[in-house]
Amino acid sequence: MRTASQLHNGETSEIVGVDLDHPSAKRLIELGFTPGQNIELIGKSIFNDPVAFSIRGTVVAVRKSEASCIKVR
Amino acid sequence: MNVISLVGPPNAGKTTLFNYLSGQNLKTVNYPGATVEYNSAKLQKKFGIDAQLIDTPGIVSLIPASLDEVVTVQGIYNNPEYGVPELIIVTVDSSQLSRHLLLVEELLESKFRIVVALTMIDILERKGFTVDCEKLSEKLGGVPVVKVDPRSGKGVDKLLDYAKKLLAEPFDADQIVPVNEDSKHLIELYKGIEKIEKDVILSKDKTVKTSSIRNSLHAPDELTLKIDKFLLSKGVGFFVFILIMVVMFASIFWLAAPLMNLVDQFFGLLASWTVELLGKSFITDFIADGVIAGLGAVSVFVPQIIILFLILGLLEDSGYLARGAMLIDRPLARIGLNGRSFVPLMSGFACAIPAIMSTRTIPNRRERLLTIFIIPLISCSARLPVYALLIAFLVPAGHALLSGAILAAIYISSITITIIAAGVINKVRGIIKAEDKSSFILELPTYKMPKLSVVWKNTWTSTKTYVRSAGLIILTFSIILWVLTFFPNYNPKIDAANLTPAQVEAQTQVARINGSYAAELGKIIEPAMVPLGLDWRVGVAVLTTFAAREVFVSSLALMFKITESKDDYSIQRSILKSMKNAVAEDGKPLFTTSTVIGLIIFFIIALQCISTMAISRKETGSWRIPLLQFAIYSGGAYILAVIAVNLLRAVGVS
Repeated sequence: MRTASQLHNGETSEIVGVDLDHPSAKRLIELGFTPGQNIELIGKSIFNDPVAFSIRGTVVAVRKSEASCIKVR
Repeated sequence: MNVISLVGPPNAGKTTLFNYLSGQNLKTVNYPGATVEYNSAKLQKKFGIDAQLIDTPGIVSLIPASLDEVVTVQGIYNNPEYGVPELIIVTVDSSQLSRHLLLVEELLESKFRIVVALTMIDILERKGFTVDCEKLSEKLGGVPVVKVDPRSGKGVDKLLDYAKKLLAEPFDADQIVPVNEDSKHLIELYKGIEKIEKDVILSKDKTVKTSSIRNSLHAPDELTLKIDKFLLSKGVGFFVFILIMVVMFASIFWLAAPLMNLVDQFFGLLASWTVELLGKSFITDFIADGVIAGLGAVSVFVPQIIILFLILGLLEDSGYLARGAMLIDRPLARIGLNGRSFVPLMSGFACAIPAIMSTRTIPNRRERLLTIFIIPLISCSARLPVYALLIAFLVPAGHALLSGAILAAIYISSITITIIAAGVINKVRGIIKAEDKSSFILELPTYKMPKLSVVWKNTWTSTKTYVRSAGLIILTFSIILWVLTFFPNYNPKIDAANLTPAQVEAQTQVARINGSYAAELGKIIEPAMVPLGLDWRVGVAVLTTFAAREVFVSSLALMFKITESKDDYSIQRSILKSMKNAVAEDGKPLFTTSTVIGLIIFFIIALQCISTMAISRKETGSWRIPLLQFAIYSGGAYILAVIAVNLLRAVGVS
């Protein structure tokens, strides 16, 4: 199973689940990272981390360690 | 009177609507979660509802993640001043419907009485869609939904008609229940929202397939994506980030310097006019040397603070500041900080007080405390007049480039020391006691042209807050200092035989200072000044910097008896002259290259600002952190300065 932190630049994928035990899961869900949504990795920071996702019409920057709780197809 | 709260996610037009309804212009923020305070105003009379209107900071959910969100959410449920709102107007960006409805659902579950104001209809229509308001209202269980353009006021009358009808009915504040914080429940809410979205968002072009609707609806702003391709990239992104930082610092210094000179000269003139107008008397001394000098000390870095807040405001309003925080998150995380520490650290270059207050946006307690801990190490603008004076002493007039290079070196070493200190303090156990899971999740707003009028208004408000909070303390201390240097020996007896009036005046000042409370105080701390090659007079000047660092300059002026000549009102030039003439008790010059470098090192590191310690206590909840900051920074500064002075002397620098 891949996670959102493993997406390549410009790659789009569908969220299949969120690891609810991760402390950042709630905030990510609140921002719209829910199963069934398409996300696209639209950019990485200078140091490759954090990464920016397009989700539900907006852009959200997330650390890779936190994006790893988002499971994608 | 009724209480109406305005609630909404960041950038959903909430503050613009508040301004329209109240007739009062306020902050429109672009950096999610930047406003910690709430604003309130009466609803304008012309709307015909007697109500108090409360604006709240933008939030995505009723489950708080940071300190400012805790404050915000508490303020929605039960405002400290106005209690439970009888009605909540929720702003929802119709082009972001699928995210912004979450807050609406949460408010409904908490049993608030709400009306929904759908904003940004124009953006949605440009994408080729429209919203069916009646259907949305039906899906939300009958909650009124109105399309509103807060800028023109279109739709506001209809919105308020609904508000009036609801407010006429009785409302029981006891029915309010806390929000369900379960993550699975949140996912369920979102599933419901997705169904609602499918039903209420209509494509203007009937031929478009339903499946492709969501794709184009959920595409972020195209221009923003294009710009981000460059500004988040490794090469260009890094370059632009550095460029923006350099331009920012360059303008803080080069734009502010002439303005600061003007302020300095204005207060110098004001003091000498006072003397001319009122004649020599006790009152004149008090007004000219106590009050006016104090006001001058407060005002001299207003230009710098305005420029810094202006630039930060422009960056924030354009949408870049959130990107800056993202780009710098990784290196900051290395030393125990967070990308969200970026804005507070930047503000620290103006003044530590607003900087420490702005750390409330950092959700992680440990990172927040560490950010507060190191902010005083950043060279605030109060240190600039001191650096300027000391550099002017080291560098002969006319070498502007060399002075600039030394100033740059001072700032670079200050930043380096801050970075090292953060890393060390983060590693040493027991300094920052909190443990918390580190997190960086930040919405990057759409890029837009910053509105100068809005940015200017914010800058002005921040500057006023600074002048009010720091200004009073600085003024008070200037007056205390004046009392300490003028008493108890206010009118010493001078043998006036064979002396010109000017000589009498000069001798009076010498005798007055030598017999003053300040001198007694200074002699107590003189043993600490000797290793620095300095004497009690500089010691007193250093003590006075606890009011505000730039007071050092006016203290030196007082301690070394500056008498301004009629044609030269620049305080700096006259201080330099008397610094060069000042001698220690053994007759050797007091201010030399080595002692002045020692002073510069001391000022780079030492925490010598009572206001900063007070705000640090307030924001951390105890005296532990401010006292540790004081001990580590001021102690370290002293030791390093002593080492530097003695090393320099050992290698033959006078």
